Amino acid sequence: MRLSLREIRRAKLRFGLLGGAVGLLVFLILFQQVLLGSLLESFTGALERQSADVVVYSEDARRSVAGSILSPEVVEAVGAVPGVAAAAPLGERTTTLSANGELVDGSVFGFVPGGPGEPTALVEGRLPASPGEAAASREDAADGFGLGATVTVEPGGAEVTVVGLTDRSRFSVSPTLWLTWEGYVEVVEAAEPDAPMVFPSLVAVATEAGEEPAAVAVDISAAVEGTDALTRSDAVAETPGVAEVRTSFLLILSLAYVVVGLVLAFFFLILTVQKSAALSLLRAVGIPMRELVTGLYLQVALVVGIGAVIGTGLVLLAAQGVGDALPLSIEPLEVAATLGLVVAVAGVGSLLALRRLLQVDPTDAVARPSLGGLA
Amino acid sequence: MKLGLLELRRRPGQFGVAGGALAFLTLLLIFLGGLLDGLIGGSTGLLRAQSAELIVYSDDARASLVRSRLDPATIAAIGDVEGVSAVGGLGVAQVGARVLDADGQPRTDEVESVAVVGYELSATEVPDPPPVGEAYVDSSLGASVGDVVAIGPEQLEVEVVGAVDDTSYLLQPGVWVSPETYEQVLAAARPDLAMAPGVFQAALVRTADGVDPDVVAARVDDATGSTSTLTIDDAIAALPGVEDQEGTFGIVIGATFVVVGVVAALFFALITIERTGLYGVLKALGSSNLGVVASLVTQAVVVALVAFALGLGAILAASGVLAGAVPFDLSLERAVSTGVGLVIMSVVGSLLSARRVWRVDPASVIG
Repeated sequence: MRLSLREIRRAKLRFGLLGGAVGLLVFLILFQQVLLGSLLESFTGALERQSADVVVYSEDARRSVAGSILSPEVVEAVGAVPGVAAAAPLGERTTTLSANGELVDGSVFGFVPGGPGEPTALVEGRLPASPGEAAASREDAADGFGLGATVTVEPGGAEVTVVGLTDRSRFSVSPTLWLTWEGYVEVVEAAEPDAPMVFPSLVAVATEAGEEPAAVAVDISAAVEGTDALTRSDAVAETPGVAEVRTSFLLILSLAYVVVGLVLAFFFLILTVQKSAALSLLRAVGIPMRELVTGLYLQVALVVGIGAVIGTGLVLLAAQGVGDALPLSIEPLEVAATLGLVVAVAGVGSLLALRRLLQVDPTDAVARPSLGGLA
Repeated sequence: MKLGLLELRRRPGQFGVAGGALAFLTLLLIFLGGLLDGLIGGSTGLLRAQSAELIVYSDDARASLVRSRLDPATIAAIGDVEGVSAVGGLGVAQVGARVLDADGQPRTDEVESVAVVGYELSATEVPDPPPVGEAYVDSSLGASVGDVVAIGPEQLEVEVVGAVDDTSYLLQPGVWVSPETYEQVLAAARPDLAMAPGVFQAALVRTADGVDPDVVAARVDDATGSTSTLTIDDAIAALPGVEDQEGTFGIVIGATFVVVGVVAALFFALITIERTGLYGVLKALGSSNLGVVASLVTQAVVVALVAFALGLGAILAASGVLAGAVPFDLSLERAVSTGVGLVIMSVVGSLLSARRVWRVDPASVIG
């Protein structure tokens, strides 16, 4: 074991390069993992953290909140479907928000207080109770969306005061405000003076106790023409772009894991082949195979450990540099799980070197001409 | 150099694992690049298709078509600005649509998301606006000339009179219609966004020959006092997510290229150590340091090119499946730039072993 540590000390460049390569790959994996989690959370958090068991879209919206528009009659019709305890309008509008004197892209939701569709992740303050009040995404509090701040919704210039903060409830990767339905109607009327009325984007549905939301969703779609009802979790998963983002990242991450395994495999295999004469000599003088295997895995563990430290450090740095648009949240458990998977891939990658090591024959040492053998 | 090539030919297996790792890295790099190009291309086609130099938004819209509104008086004022040769309104509505078959029934149960574009000025890729009830349709929708597309829940029907390419907006195929048809679509499918006659989300501006578009943009904003005028390139960069996607993918692609360099450096460091004695013999027989290093670099170039070919081949084989699952678009420029980057990083990596080659003492061969 001491020998393998001494080998690392004497071959700093080689092991340093390997540690660097693994570190960069760990960074790529971690960065994309964190990016995926943060992106999806910031993309659909508002939909995920509201109280409706079922949300109803217009059929033509293709499960896009921004593309859905329903009439007030549909809200009533949905409320009459068996299994529905309550139905309420839920509005969403992509807009420009003026906070701290800066114009930013944002989303505004309108919900009926006390009804389905209320935000469920309030962490400070209270939910809005009247027009002119709003709950804002906590992630944007420092940028003019803190408690007590006044935010202007453009166009139209309607002003709202932030009375509460929600956690992980952003929408479309932008600051998100939750208003009462009346407040939302005022904001939209100011922005769209030519529109005949303000329409709900979705219907938020609370199901009766004991009813299965998925079954109620099917019933609503069948009973109310032109609607497409989904459970809350299905609505999040089916949001346009979510499946594509997941597939893309899955492919990228899979490739990165394969490269980690390959790099470790080729390094330790070549190293073991290069050392085979020395290893056979060690076996010949009585060093047990177990000790050589332990030495190999000690080196693998050290390289992966150094790579993990480098990769995690780089991710922490990158999280600062990515910009304000998408706050990256690094979850220690998620990082630990990723590093665990990297260790497993490293274990698999080093199997080729292990196989070569197990083939080392002590008698090879006496076959070497330099030691007086007759090879 | 010849020796390096000979070795590659006689012992290709020795380079197999490193080549395999580089091939997977190539796959990763091309996939990342293709994904970025697919995302950006699918979002920006509507703007890239324009022949106008400038686009005008209302000043509180933050360069977003959805949030921008320009009334007829403002558009008329833009037309009067010195240096403006033509101005035309532009509006987009993202709605569901169905392509109908000959019997007037939807071809599939699936509703497609489309971007209905109401426009007044022809674009590079799109002719002058068609008559009411007709449309030029982006080829990615899969509709042919003569087909009928039913738009929105009211199934407003428009006949396809021409196909256009690469005109998508936010990953939705463009359906290009006259302002009148656009107003009908808004009234039927998106009454929440309905606008008074003559109101558009934005205006496209062609500038007079020889006039700097930036100067005209400043004049337009001064003249109206309520607009934000951008060049088309700036408007593309300002689309939601474009800069963030480019920045984030840039970090990942950059780090992957560095990994390529480190992997190449690692591999050539290992084989240089293995051959230290042989290099001593070569130098004792008169080979120069440069000649030995050139052999290494040649091997790095060949390994990188073979890895690139393997990675590219794999991604081309999978591109049909990828294109259906994710917005993937592999361009020649992306493939070439990835190949060049791969070769450069491999050469840089292999050169890290040059120092060790230089230090080999020919005298060590004889003890």
